[in-house]
Amino acid sequence: MTAGRTLGQFYPVASLLHGLDPRAKILGTAALAVGLFLVDSAAGFLLISAVVVLLVAASRIPPGTFVGFLRPVAFIVALTALFQVFFSREGELLLEWGFVQVHEGGLVRGLFLASRILLLVSTAALLTATTAPVALADGIEDLLSPLKKARFPAHELAMMITIALRFIPTLHEEAQKITRAQAARGADFSEGGPIRRARALLPVLVPLTIGAFRRADELAEAMESRGYRGDEGRTRYRELRFRTRDALVLCAAALVVFAGILL
Amino acid sequence: MRIELENVRHVYAPGTPFEVEALRGVSLAIEPEEVLGIVGGTGSGKSTLVQHLNLLLVPTSGRVLVDGADVRTIRGRELRGRVGLVFQFPEAALFAPTVEEDVAFAPRRLGLSEGEVHRRVGETLGLLGASHLAGRSPFALSGGEKRRVAIAGVLAMAPEVLVLDEPTAGLDPATREDLLGVVRALREEGTSVVMVSHDLDEVAEVADRVCVLENGEVRAVGAPEEVFYAHPTTAPSTVRVVRPLRGPHPEVGRPVRFEETLAALKGLLEGRV
Repeated sequence: MTAGRTLGQFYPVASLLHGLDPRAKILGTAALAVGLFLVDSAAGFLLISAVVVLLVAASRIPPGTFVGFLRPVAFIVALTALFQVFFSREGELLLEWGFVQVHEGGLVRGLFLASRILLLVSTAALLTATTAPVALADGIEDLLSPLKKARFPAHELAMMITIALRFIPTLHEEAQKITRAQAARGADFSEGGPIRRARALLPVLVPLTIGAFRRADELAEAMESRGYRGDEGRTRYRELRFRTRDALVLCAAALVVFAGILL
Repeated sequence: MRIELENVRHVYAPGTPFEVEALRGVSLAIEPEEVLGIVGGTGSGKSTLVQHLNLLLVPTSGRVLVDGADVRTIRGRELRGRVGLVFQFPEAALFAPTVEEDVAFAPRRLGLSEGEVHRRVGETLGLLGASHLAGRSPFALSGGEKRRVAIAGVLAMAPEVLVLDEPTAGLDPATREDLLGVVRALREEGTSVVMVSHDLDEVAEVADRVCVLENGEVRAVGAPEEVFYAHPTTAPSTVRVVRPLRGPHPEVGRPVRFEETLAALKGLLEGRV
């Protein structure tokens, strides 16, 4: 009964973003992601950051919660940025302290890299937070369906994604339950060095893995007993509808990306 | 050991759309050497309540006292050895290659000597009728056997209070009877047992006191005959049979356990014939 604020979790409120067609959101996110790799100026990053902030506001997710989504990547972002700052020897020397040197080029690169990763994760988090997993998978399936002609298993892929996404919170909850059960038996996950801590996780990982396999078996049986036979002849309860506003949002995303690259 | 909950409130995920108030001010004491049955429907807060007893959950407001001291002043590890908590479906947390190893995990974490650990494992498996399983893999056991082993894994810490959350859910009748026997045996030895269940019949068989939870609040608490005869909607089948007979035959009394009820009904019939 825990509701963790994990990265990639759907945040069920009603908002403009929640109401968009998943295909528009997937394409828009993809456009922004590609754009982020091409943007190479402070103005470009500022523009995209502003757009992301606006989108978060439009999603009606409390800003504090949204920042919470980003916490898991904060460490990686900080680490990569620091690497750039300390090991890049470009531009003017700004600071020297023993063998540590900070150059202007490194500082700029570090900042750009950090913003790039943070914005990428933010757009991805926005997509998953405003799109129900089922809708997301439906969108992916639909976008990939032209590839079905080339025997690409779009439906199977979408089903796997749906199942994987669906089971993230389940496994998360299961992990917490097992962690608590082992804590009740005196397990301590915070003491000792890294090796001892990794060993302390065994009593959680072993039952979690076994449970996941059991769940997979049960799910397969449940699906078969309800007549699931794959893609052929399968109808949908929720039909996707691409409306004018979806097209508008997509155009806007493309514009932002172009503007960001040109700036 | 006496555990006391004072106006305990617990809110999950406060400040998000997932916010749930699971406990709304629960005051309850667990007396030494008693079996306390906690009953209530799904979502009544039973499982949340028991996790406060060994500090796995901390109250959003209110206090939990152990022998008069606030639990926040006690180290979690120490308390967890004294209050053994067996979760619902505890077999989901079995992990070691052998039953013996798995049961030894908790006492080893208490820092006991290998000899003492070995002694406790043997003793606990014996109490639960699982000695013959010691060398087997816990994953190759039947559902009932797994449950016995998982409960042994907590009981091997020799806690002063054993908390069982739905210990008999999904079990066969024989294992269920055996577990109720274990609860009685522990009580004889002076261990308090808190048994959470929605099976009123089994609570009626072992409980010295009963607490009815509803929507995160204590609706009734007291001796089984007081609680069950006052709240016919939460009463075991014995009470539901006897209750309507009490109007014309008050001499039948207020039996709760199966044997008592049988004796009372026999008495009633014999008096008549």
